[in-house]
Amino acid sequence: MFKRILIANRGEIALRIIRACRELGVETVAIFSEADRGAPYLELADQAICVGSARAADSYLRIDRVISAAEIGNVQAIHPGYGFLSENAHFAEVCRSCDIGFIGPTPETMERVGDKNSARALAREAGVPTVPGSNGLVANEQEAVTIAREIGFPVLLKATAGGGGKGMRVAANDLSLASAWQQASAEAQAAFGNAGIYIERYIERPRHVEIQILGDQHGTIVHLWERDCSTQRRHQKLIEESPSPRLPPEIRRKMCEAAVRLAKTAGYYSAGTVEFIVDQQDNFYFIEVNARIQVEHPVSEMVTGIDLVKAQIRIAAGEKLGFKQQDIVPRGHAIECRINAEDPASNFRPCPGRIDRIISPGGYGVRFDSHATTGYTVPPHYDSLVGKLIVHQPTRQEAIQTMIRALRELRIEGIKTTVPLHLEVLANTAFHEAQMDTTFVERMLAG
Amino acid sequence: MSAAENLGDLFNAKRVRRLIKLMKEHDLSEIDLKQADQRVRIRRGGEFVASSGALSAPAARSAAAEPSVREPVADSRMLLIKSPMVGTFYRASGPDSAVFVKVGDRIGPEKTVCIIEAMKVFNEIPAGVSGQVVAVLVENGAPVEFGQPLIKVDPEA
Repeated sequence: MFKRILIANRGEIALRIIRACRELGVETVAIFSEADRGAPYLELADQAICVGSARAADSYLRIDRVISAAEIGNVQAIHPGYGFLSENAHFAEVCRSCDIGFIGPTPETMERVGDKNSARALAREAGVPTVPGSNGLVANEQEAVTIAREIGFPVLLKATAGGGGKGMRVAANDLSLASAWQQASAEAQAAFGNAGIYIERYIERPRHVEIQILGDQHGTIVHLWERDCSTQRRHQKLIEESPSPRLPPEIRRKMCEAAVRLAKTAGYYSAGTVEFIVDQQDNFYFIEVNARIQVEHPVSEMVTGIDLVKAQIRIAAGEKLGFKQQDIVPRGHAIECRINAEDPASNFRPCPGRIDRIISPGGYGVRFDSHATTGYTVPPHYDSLVGKLIVHQPTRQEAIQTMIRALRELRIEGIKTTVPLHLEVLANTAFHEAQMDTTFVERMLAG
Repeated sequence: MSAAENLGDLFNAKRVRRLIKLMKEHDLSEIDLKQADQRVRIRRGGEFVASSGALSAPAARSAAAEPSVREPVADSRMLLIKSPMVGTFYRASGPDSAVFVKVGDRIGPEKTVCIIEAMKVFNEIPAGVSGQVVAVLVENGAPVEFGQPLIKVDPEA
């Protein structure tokens, strides 16, 4: 086991990793930017090192400074969390060449699954269904039209280097395809420096269902079942849950097996997520792999009883998984709400600022993962996630009731948060009847 | 400390001062003491962050490389040369070389005041300011973080 680990991240996930390390008896080195100086969670680390000024590009994304911090902090490994450098294969490569463990998959695997286009090729190789679409990047507008006609409209243009919903456009016919092509390429170039676009059939009212996978360095790969993340707004997840309601058991089984097959083909180890889209006829299609721990990992932890962050650390230290697929028996229903510092009443305007008072909810089946404390100021430079509220109960209905109860108990004063939106979703009939798809929230908000 | 003198109250100020004195005498850069669920760790030079303990003890101030000078009343006019990177601070270009600057030296903005080694690269750090060196705040060979004050300069001297 490692003696010391550096956490190359901030906020709630940094706290999550620090907690796992403390339980494993591993010392921690936290890093922080000047905007995060004084954040209370840093005191829980054994050492904290400033790596730059507020902008992420000047601090958390500075590979040289993160590695220097790892060296002066005398660590054996780095946990990258999610976002920032977590899916940066070059960073993983630098770690390796500096003889510092990277808590995640190998750089080669990260490259193979990180590029959306190459991931699709990997899925085809593993016999995992993909959304009908172009076999690779589309060279130009003319080719786009040809392909679109083959696979059938409506089509979705997607940036190969994309994420967070950027560089995506829907085109319903030949005519709108031209402008969709221009816009998607331009947005992709601006956001990711890579204008590469591929095309897929656009699935109407899809459900977003993802499979959590976990592999060790000894060839064992298991799945921890699925999470349904259909409750999104503008491609940003709001609420995640497990199991996916209304997913036929046979489809669930096939998706989980497909995810493991894909992971094996990629030589994957550590934690990862295989994302699928499920259409209204329960056909599922591979979308992408997230080669890191995800924000919503607690949902799977509650349902399976497995601590995913500790598992990642153990796996990176070379330990065997210690359990087999048949040992992973899901129990009950878990739901997570992402509490963001945004004002739903003002078009989700970000609301950084000082939290004058925070009262965390508690009770049976309630978990609140948050780095925020009374007096903590949410900085404007990073994501707006203040905390994750997770509940776990024997049934979905009970989980919904507990979540409503916990959301009402949660008090965050001084800033606006998305709590009112969560309450609105949880009161909605379509949500209760599990009739959600990824368009649900926006339709609900439109009235 | 004698064996009879058990660690007792780890956070007794007198005891902490004594530990720091011992560290200087024996040129120790770091000590780490644990008893039950109390712990104190003292490192000379560089930024110190409080470690875990049953009592919330004040963090031991990092011992300055130069003898601590009574702060002049006009401290607010002092300039600080801060570290632009994360790495290890060196006062000279090699173990047998003369230090770049010492207290009392007059320097200009182009003057190299120290080296910070990061990822095996030795970076010469220019002063960026003019004046007289009042204090060197970091021990030779100590780790430094971004923004950490390295050298105090009096611009009016």
